[in-house]
Amino acid sequence: MFETEMLFAFGLFSLGLYGVSSKRDFLRLFFSLEILLNAVILMLGITAHYLGMTQNIVLAYMVMILATLEAALGLLIFAAANKIAKVVTPDELQGEAHE
Amino acid sequence: MNIALLSIVIMLAIGSLMIKKSVPAIISFILMMFVLGLFYIHLDAKMLGLFQIFIYTGGIMVLMLFGVTIVGLEFPKFKTKPLNALGSLLFFVLISTLFLRSADTLQKVATSKVEDINLFSAFYSDYLLIFALIASSLLYATVKMSSVLKQKRSK
Repeated sequence: MFETEMLFAFGLFSLGLYGVSSKRDFLRLFFSLEILLNAVILMLGITAHYLGMTQNIVLAYMVMILATLEAALGLLIFAAANKIAKVVTPDELQGEAHE
Repeated sequence: MNIALLSIVIMLAIGSLMIKKSVPAIISFILMMFVLGLFYIHLDAKMLGLFQIFIYTGGIMVLMLFGVTIVGLEFPKFKTKPLNALGSLLFFVLISTLFLRSADTLQKVATSKVEDINLFSAFYSDYLLIFALIASSLLYATVKMSSVLKQKRSK
């Protein structure tokens, strides 16, 4: 059971990795980052339950707070970039930076 | 039950990345986080589950809906990159193989008794350098981004 659930968490992490590496629009980039961090929280939750590592729950809270802050900060930067340069994808923003 | 919940999570995660319209993609993403919260509650980590559902999911939902107002109702078109999919699949195979090879050892180490655990020194002091590196790179990225935007605004 422990191994199977961890494999699901790895699957979720790989899915997030695919989303991040595809580099599409900003919103999906944030989705992918959140999926990555959710996979990490899932791993921490599973290990806390099955291996009795209850300290992992503390780490899970920390990762959760980090994920929320990351989304807030990222969307703020995205909103500023969109307002100034009208960009929707990271590639467009990179192009603007090189101009 | 656990496997069913996690299967739903994976399907919803795939949906949130593949759906072309932004609002259904966000709903799929929020449902994924909600089901994860249910999974934590089912794992007896009730506080973590409730925190996930009420605070994390709620906060992210508001932020993402704010993002929709910028992106619009449809995501911009993109080219599918099979090489990236293959890379992430390879990563999954690699990490699963490594984990399954050392799962027994991990369980033995985790269940062995550790005397007098000092939470912060035991878990965070070893990673201080990594935390510092991540923090400084984030700071660099923020400063760089703000300088790029400032240049653009002045043009």
